[in-house]
Amino acid sequence: MSPTAWMAWPVILPLLGAVLALLVGRKGVRVVAGVASVATFTASAVLTWEVATRGVLRQAIGGWGPPLGIEWRADGLAVLMLLTIGVVGPLISVHALDHLGDREDREFLPLWLFVWCALNALVLSADAFNLYVTLELVTLASVALIAVRRDRPGLDAGLRYLLFALPGSLLYLLGVALLYGLYSALDLGLLGQRITPGPVAWVAAGVMTLGLCLKTPLFPLHVWLPPTYTGAPTPVTALLSALISKGSYYVLLRLWLEVFTPILDWQVGQFLGVLGAAAVLWGSLLALSQSQLKRVVAYSSVAQIGYMFLLFPMATLGARTGAVYLVVSHAAAKASMFVAVGNIHQAVGITELGGVQGLAYRMPFTFLAMALGGISLIGMPPSGGFIAKWILLEESIWTGQWWWGLVLLLGGLLASAYVFRILRGSFLPLPPGVTVRSIPLGNELAPLALALIALVLGLVPWFPLELLAVGTAR
Amino acid sequence: MTAALLDACLALCLPLLAWLVLRTESLSQSVVLFVAMGLLSALAWARLDAPDISLVEAAVGTGLTGALLMHTLSWTDERPPDVAARARHRPWAVVAMAALTGMLGWAVLSLPSDDPGLTREVDAHLAESGVEHPVTAVLLNYRGYDTLLEIAVLLVAVLGARAVNPRSERTTPEPSRDPLTGELFRMMTPALLLVAGYLVWVGEHGPGGAFQAGAILAGGGVVALLTTRLGTPRMSSWRVRWALLTGPLLFIGAAVAPLFSGRALLEYREAQAGTVIFVVELALTVSIAMVLWMFFPGMRPARAERSGKEPS
Repeated sequence: MSPTAWMAWPVILPLLGAVLALLVGRKGVRVVAGVASVATFTASAVLTWEVATRGVLRQAIGGWGPPLGIEWRADGLAVLMLLTIGVVGPLISVHALDHLGDREDREFLPLWLFVWCALNALVLSADAFNLYVTLELVTLASVALIAVRRDRPGLDAGLRYLLFALPGSLLYLLGVALLYGLYSALDLGLLGQRITPGPVAWVAAGVMTLGLCLKTPLFPLHVWLPPTYTGAPTPVTALLSALISKGSYYVLLRLWLEVFTPILDWQVGQFLGVLGAAAVLWGSLLALSQSQLKRVVAYSSVAQIGYMFLLFPMATLGARTGAVYLVVSHAAAKASMFVAVGNIHQAVGITELGGVQGLAYRMPFTFLAMALGGISLIGMPPSGGFIAKWILLEESIWTGQWWWGLVLLLGGLLASAYVFRILRGSFLPLPPGVTVRSIPLGNELAPLALALIALVLGLVPWFPLELLAVGTAR
Repeated sequence: MTAALLDACLALCLPLLAWLVLRTESLSQSVVLFVAMGLLSALAWARLDAPDISLVEAAVGTGLTGALLMHTLSWTDERPPDVAARARHRPWAVVAMAALTGMLGWAVLSLPSDDPGLTREVDAHLAESGVEHPVTAVLLNYRGYDTLLEIAVLLVAVLGARAVNPRSERTTPEPSRDPLTGELFRMMTPALLLVAGYLVWVGEHGPGGAFQAGAILAGGGVVALLTTRLGTPRMSSWRVRWALLTGPLLFIGAAVAPLFSGRALLEYREAQAGTVIFVVELALTVSIAMVLWMFFPGMRPARAERSGKEPS
């Protein structure tokens, strides 16, 4: 099979797996999903290898090529995301197997495979309308995942997510329609060549950015995030925070760096940067003042998303590297923390922050994961978060915008406060009268594995950094 | 002259109806008005020379959606939302919407009015696409990959509908005792099958295709649900699963087959393209009909059954 043919499998295999998992009925779901996961990961790894050795790969789907057809484009950024999804997602789903009930399990697995297919399709796509279709698939599958327990909080959270994410997709679609109307193209490369300043391009850029910020979400559009993340089952929250919210951010990044660059003034980038900085400070302060454990971690996501938007005022390749590195390390670190939160809920059944008291002695792996994940959120070495923030800090000084560096440092300080608030409680003596149920070893190891990925990203950054450079020489 | 009058009437009525849908006090009235608005917008699409969109708007956007909304009404205790009070509380929403509308208007007015888009490219390659109708060529060949993902969207929607409506899998429907409806269903069935079959076949060279045909079949299914003892199809039955999933499986198969002979995803051989597209469309029609049909929950359980308990 030719190297470009490998691009199809990371999208097709999870889709096929999901359809077959639905087809086999209740008995074979786990087996089918397991085989599909291994196959999809293998395909993603092979494609990564091909891109690392051969450079950017393209496939004109249907043999047509733009402007008539859709094109897949795999550069270093795309395959790094592919790999992140392929490693973090299955680890979360392994945790979900023991965390959810039997029926939820059977419904979780096909839905997760659909999300995996959609996210892989999203990172490979170079077509503005096709990106909309992938966003739609991600959104709907997420809603079904959030409501998978069919209980009241889950249904509420699912509907809330739908009501915010759907207008987000529609705003994006409006922008696509406007761009197609003027430039007769949907391919991102062609759009980038043809775009000219004018009302259509400005309005399109505006509504698309607004829609994607609503989905990600960027402060002050984050109002739906804390209640949704709290109401969803914990493994689903981990998927939402680690991977799904990155999908819309990825589209925004592609659009701004590859399509809209010629028509945007520096003020627009500064504006997004200011919102990102506000998200960092506001999210961290609120994380610090929460009494529920899961809400602390949820508000921390608001803050971490804020850092990623510091890319837009700087808009350099270096800043892109830093932001993407943060996306990857946040995926691993935050997934690990949410999964750890799920373990804690399962062990003591208390959702308050005080519920962690004394648990460090009973669930050492879970709290080791929590600590390692926290280190990456704070941005202390050695962790992926450190590398990412270091690159962003360097870039802020390099571009003469030192004030963003200040935001990075202040955010790190606040993050250390809320992380230590959780860890400190866990080392207090176990309060009397609390029974700690034992957790299956697999569930304790899943968050640890995720946290170790965040750690390794800090120890061996060369491979991802070299990969990210593939396809940037333009 | 008449055409201009019709257009003016549509342009006036559509915003007016939309406003009424939002402002009306009763939910059932609002649903009826919504259906009326859908029919008019189907007409508007037809006037805009987009018969394919018009068909889908009439069948899915108005017919099935309207039926779904009315069916849902029977599950709710009608308490009309106090629209006016909410509007008073959110003046900023009005300002934001006005700003968005103004911006969009500005952008749309500055678009070229006679731009052919990609029409020329679409027509130039029509001979290689295996079909004669440009819309079908775009949906099943040029951009077949979008359609493949849309089919996944439909499957996910079924799973989502099942999650929010747990009782649809369990309730046994109480068939309508009205003899007329049963008779109506018996008379309608052959016509529905004929129309659906025609729509799939005609999609090759004219407006029609799997989505429209599937919607018509699903409409028949909904009537059956309301008038006969047939319950909502359940995922636990293997027949339902095969009916639902054969289309997607065939489509995936057709999509990946070219990969094994060194071509790209969905790159059909020119000679076989027409046949492959027809078979895929035929299988998809059944799947799409199943999907749309499965959105409908069973009949509303009797009041005694529902009192007190939230769905768990």
